[in-house]
Amino acid sequence: MSFDASIDDVVDDPDAALLARYAQGDAAAARLLTVQLSPRAFGHAFRVLGDRSEAEDVTQDALMRLWKIAPEWRSGEAKVSTWLYRVVANLCTDRLRKRRGGVPLEDIAEPADPAESAEAKLQRGAREDALQTALDALPERQRQAVVLRHIEGLANPEIAQILEIGVEAVESLTARGKRALTALLAGQREALGYEDDKT
Amino acid sequence: MTKPDTDMLETLFQDARAAPPALPDGLLDRIMADALAQQSNARSRGWRGIWQAIGGAPAFGGLVAATAVGFWIGVAPPSTLPDIATQIITGASYAALDDTATPDLTAFGWDIDEG
Repeated sequence: MSFDASIDDVVDDPDAALLARYAQGDAAAARLLTVQLSPRAFGHAFRVLGDRSEAEDVTQDALMRLWKIAPEWRSGEAKVSTWLYRVVANLCTDRLRKRRGGVPLEDIAEPADPAESAEAKLQRGAREDALQTALDALPERQRQAVVLRHIEGLANPEIAQILEIGVEAVESLTARGKRALTALLAGQREALGYEDDKT
Repeated sequence: MTKPDTDMLETLFQDARAAPPALPDGLLDRIMADALAQQSNARSRGWRGIWQAIGGAPAFGGLVAATAVGFWIGVAPPSTLPDIATQIITGASYAALDDTATPDLTAFGWDIDEG
């Protein structure tokens, strides 16, 4: 047991303090960590993989790894959320590599619920699909970097830690990714309702 | 690439941030179940690990029974056994048999060979 929660941990990384409590047998800490971290892990996995079922498996697997490592967690080395994003990113990379050997990349999730017939909902769905389809077309590293930067809203140094690359490489990946997305989405302004958008 | 195109991308990012994908039904429950199961496993590696290693409650029950029987035999031995406890307390000899009376049973005669 090398992990002791201190005031610094609570200030710097509240998740680390919760993880320490979890390792000491606190079920409430497990619940808080689950509620706070699962949506972030699932969100990233879903955006990178474009598949809810696979994202679900990745999320559960990543959290399981967190529970297992909790007793040996060393504070000060990395934030819990950064560590978790790294695990999710690596699990996604593994799945995308396996997919390349079999299922085509364009096999993406179906639109949410076809019964949603209101025009605004359809348009929102179309926009989400358009973004996801464009994301799926990006090279994997660019996609991971763009999702972490522009959807998860992380800072470049943290993304560098997650992807285990330099900050400059992150800047390059996100810039190239955004250029590619813009090109992929060009010409869809009218179809996506951006010409006279009132929503 | 035009300004409106980049603006549209920013808007799409904003929409995506504002509406994160909904978690699948039951996922939180499954993750929570994993967390509690793992917590329980980790705890069992402490004192519970030792408890499990000796076989848990059934083995402990057997251990207690054997100890109690042994203690009772020491306190109140059956008539066919020498009362060692009394002999120790009173200082009496607790050799039940006379060694010299049964020379054939002692070390198969090796003690005689070696003088």
